[in-house]
Amino acid sequence: MGNILKLFLLFIAATVLHWGFMSVFGGAGVSLNVMLVFACAVCACLPPQYGYPAAFVCGLFLDFFGVKLFGNNALVFTLCACMMYGMEKRLDFDAPVPQIISIFVLGLFAAVFNVILLRMFAGFSAWTGFWPLFSGVAFNAALAPFVFWAVRRVFKRER
Amino acid sequence: MKSQSKQHKKTAFHSRRVSILPAVFILLSLLLMALPLESPVASVKALLSYIFIPQIRAAHAAVEYAEGVSGTVKELLNTHQENILLQEQLGRLQLENAQAREVFEENVRLASALDLRVPQIWRGVWAKTAYRDPTQWNSVVIDKGLLDGVHERAAVIALKDAQPVLAGLVLETDDHTAKVLLLRDEDFSAAVYAVPSGEEGLLTGAGAAQMRMQYLPFLSDIQEGEKVYTSSSSSIFPAGILVGEVAEVEDESGFRTSLTARVEPAADASSIRELFVLTPQAAEEK
Repeated sequence: MGNILKLFLLFIAATVLHWGFMSVFGGAGVSLNVMLVFACAVCACLPPQYGYPAAFVCGLFLDFFGVKLFGNNALVFTLCACMMYGMEKRLDFDAPVPQIISIFVLGLFAAVFNVILLRMFAGFSAWTGFWPLFSGVAFNAALAPFVFWAVRRVFKRER
Repeated sequence: MKSQSKQHKKTAFHSRRVSILPAVFILLSLLLMALPLESPVASVKALLSYIFIPQIRAAHAAVEYAEGVSGTVKELLNTHQENILLQEQLGRLQLENAQAREVFEENVRLASALDLRVPQIWRGVWAKTAYRDPTQWNSVVIDKGLLDGVHERAAVIALKDAQPVLAGLVLETDDHTAKVLLLRDEDFSAAVYAVPSGEEGLLTGAGAAQMRMQYLPFLSDIQEGEKVYTSSSSSIFPAGILVGEVAEVEDESGFRTSLTARVEPAADASSIRELFVLTPQAAEEK
């Protein structure tokens, strides 16, 4: 119960952070995704029974703003959670470099897969170019160590 | 021994339960994507709005507060200089306003005398862009909703160089926020006319490409650089709002009965910050 409450409070903090960064950088076309970093950090620190629902809800939160398709971000985030749990035996998520690399790769995957899903299911081209994609993914990667640290500090490493 | 076996069974059950979690969420996401956006998904969104909207409001308030702190410091530094400039501008605008009112009243008198539709003053609410995802450049979320008088299918206007330009229309509303469909979206359309040629056409969004002004008369003399405004035949948008500029008249070979022009929208989706949403009162008067 304590973990769920902590997760809920962290989720609120992540949405505020996401909103804040989008307000500041959205105008410059930087397509950053704080919710993805948060979902991955939760997967790195908590067991799957918390990680998967958290990733799904974070995705739903982003889907809530869409007008073309609903559920695409939830799917992408769940797949990212699967990859995080798949990578945990090979990578040490306590160190910043694996955190940065994993978030960079998953950020790219999420952005590209989202474009494909929107094209397939809604017939809508969401491709905005390389600058929003790479700047956003680089920003996510740079943010990863801080988010991972915050999540780990709150949960004091549950796994 | 018995308790060890019981513990083992319990662990096996738990790990099996955990292993099906991703499959459940993936299936649920696919189901949500496959369902039509109207009834079932709208219900899910309505349910989620009870959870997310308070959070969105909290997030928006926190960001506004943070922006306000830095803004206040800057304001304190610039207030005196700005005050002098604003007083000068105010005086000039008051004069212009008096002249405009005079012209407007004359216009109303002439329109009634000629039995034409009397022009109306736009009424609405100012809203700020609360959320914009660059990957979803076809829509923005604004910080005003139903409780502020914002309704679905209301026209949304932005200011560019102090001139009103068409930004889009309201697609979805909640109590405190609303989603605005921007001009470039493929689902957007509006009746427009070009100046000075006066040719009318139907403007539609074309995604990342320039907008299309369709069904122009085949022998139309519409030229590049002409300004495009909303037409009085539009049922949603008031007439005379600048939409954009003709960038190119398509020169397609083969059989055709009408022309299509490419229009560059005046409102830049990435730099929209403040928006004026026309309220239903204005629409009714129209």
